[in-house]
Amino acid sequence: MSAAEQIDPSIDHYLAEFSRIERDLPGSDDSKRVRSTELKRFAETGFPTVRDEEWKYTSLAAVEKRRFEINDESAAIDKSALDAFMPKGFEAHRLVLVDGYFNAGLSDLNDLPAGVTVRSFADHLRDNAGVGVKAQEVDDEPGSLAAMNAAFFTDGAYVETASGAVLEKPLHIICVSSGAHDDRMTQVRHRYVFGENSQATIVEHAIGLGDKAYFANVVTEAVMGRNAQLKRVRLQEESERGYHVSAFFGQQRRDSRIFNHAFDLGGRLARIDTNSRLVDQNAEVHLNGVFVPTGRQHMDNHTMIDHDTEHSISREQYKGVLAGHGRGVFNGKILIRKDAQKTDSDLSVDALLLSDKAEVDAKPELEIYADDVTAGHGSTVGQLDEDAVFYLKSRGISEEGARAVLTYSFANALVEQLGIAPIERYVEATLLKKLPGGEAFADLA
Amino acid sequence: MISIKNLHAEVEGKPILRGVDLEIPDGEVHAIMGPNGSGKSTLASILAGREEYEVTQGSVTYKGQELLEMDPDERACEGVFLGFQYPVEIPGVSNLYLLRAALNARRKYHGEPEIDAVDFMQMAQEKIDHVGMSMEMAKRGVNEDFSGGEKKRNEIFQMLMLEPNLAILDETDSGLDIDALKVVSDGINRLRSPERSVVLVTHYKRLLEHCVPDRIHVLYQGQIVRSGGPELADTLEAEGYANLETDEAAATS
Repeated sequence: MSAAEQIDPSIDHYLAEFSRIERDLPGSDDSKRVRSTELKRFAETGFPTVRDEEWKYTSLAAVEKRRFEINDESAAIDKSALDAFMPKGFEAHRLVLVDGYFNAGLSDLNDLPAGVTVRSFADHLRDNAGVGVKAQEVDDEPGSLAAMNAAFFTDGAYVETASGAVLEKPLHIICVSSGAHDDRMTQVRHRYVFGENSQATIVEHAIGLGDKAYFANVVTEAVMGRNAQLKRVRLQEESERGYHVSAFFGQQRRDSRIFNHAFDLGGRLARIDTNSRLVDQNAEVHLNGVFVPTGRQHMDNHTMIDHDTEHSISREQYKGVLAGHGRGVFNGKILIRKDAQKTDSDLSVDALLLSDKAEVDAKPELEIYADDVTAGHGSTVGQLDEDAVFYLKSRGISEEGARAVLTYSFANALVEQLGIAPIERYVEATLLKKLPGGEAFADLA
Repeated sequence: MISIKNLHAEVEGKPILRGVDLEIPDGEVHAIMGPNGSGKSTLASILAGREEYEVTQGSVTYKGQELLEMDPDERACEGVFLGFQYPVEIPGVSNLYLLRAALNARRKYHGEPEIDAVDFMQMAQEKIDHVGMSMEMAKRGVNEDFSGGEKKRNEIFQMLMLEPNLAILDETDSGLDIDALKVVSDGINRLRSPERSVVLVTHYKRLLEHCVPDRIHVLYQGQIVRSGGPELADTLEAEGYANLETDEAAATS
């Protein structure tokens, strides 16, 4: 290692930044020790580089050269600023974080059912000295950015469901970057702890306002008790100069189910790591994702499903729509360990290239050590069917319109699996708005 | 309605049409028959604006305008309709949505306001009944999981909704059972009026029994080698296309 690398000015900045805010960070003394350890873990490797196999196609050079400062407080934003991001007809409990801090005024957590706790994670840490900054059950959170998050996070959502509790209405967690100042970062951490037989739907909605550069680093931990069910929706609408990094760590006990639906629509750069470990029999995970880099957007999805014991199920479907100079990456790893006999797994990724300047790398990666498993995978990269384009044009639809409608058709097949109509409509309309000529067909949604 | 003069076209350098001349007056139904590979579908595709064919000579005038200079969507807005031999499936976009978008595209082109939702549904219900489809099918994705016969019915449904001035039906009658064939021919007969013309590209005389054309043209090796009244279909059935070559030889000598 050269001397220049040892005193990386970027790392220095974040070490100084940590010293500046350390005493305000929520958590017990034990937590503070963990945060320091995590900071060291981050400092040792720094930001990932393209030399790292896991980051081969995604450069964080633009993030690294900036000096993001953590927000001391949240900017005052008007409720109406969020109106445009509210899916029409979406009835939900609402937890709003602005610039990394819980905002009670914008939130609505009044009529939560018995047995369901939803609150600020910072408050939860302050009130419970025994609660750690990292979930004990999630044994490993690899990556220097997850470490950075563990060190720095200011707040997040804490959700706990008692045994048998059911959250009928979804929970809508909104993470807003206000864009009030240049070069700010938000470090947010959510923890979901699901009791036996409990069930909830949680929508994590990332929103960027304004045109300032910022860095949003989100970690979500989900600890799933026996036969519990989480439907998690990630809706990413960072603004044009927003850098978004998100990691999910699921830990699934017997018969538990995670249905994860990710929609990446915004941001300058987004890197999403979705990991779930199926530690017990008959656990089931479904990962669906739609990513739509247009203009100069870059979106990178990495998934890792770890089949630990026998009889567990995973289903994974991703669709990418790439236009303009859009850049997409998908890497789906399925690990089937030696004891994970009778694993049933399937992964597919399909990408649609709408321009010759767009580019995608899509790779399923299967690592199988058991000998009695079903593991299917497939990957396609293609363009729109010109016969279908002509068909629509022959009915009077413009060239652009025909392409927008067919692109919608391609993505919609996955969107409509979500099963939450107001969000399906919202995602479809947002997708159409992103496509040239699509606005005229917004009512398709 | 449409006047085709000395039309030559090729695909990937291979000549397909070699001087087609054809006049279709307002209000007439013309059938184009001929063996496989004679250029029938190419002619239909060129009229609708498919881009993989290169027109090397000749002209097509439609209602006094140069048709070949118009984009396919513009042609549609001007009242040209192509019934596809192989209609495509578009999941997630309903048949009704497509039709409303198509009607509105045309209205916008002509500077008219969008169609009223109630009027549209009334019109759709009426036409759905004509072609023996159900509203449930019309609400499904475009041709999504439709059988071959259902797709052709849907083409006729679209044609009746869009009320074209010039309908070009490319083997819409192929692969149909007798019920579906009757739907197709009834649809064409409904459309017939003094201001609309129809071009039927077909292999089979069967359609022409239900939907009697004003003229029949035989396309052979890229040229119209014979034209006649509806009785020509019987001759072709009796004699086949075997002696066309001698006809062509006679015509050019």
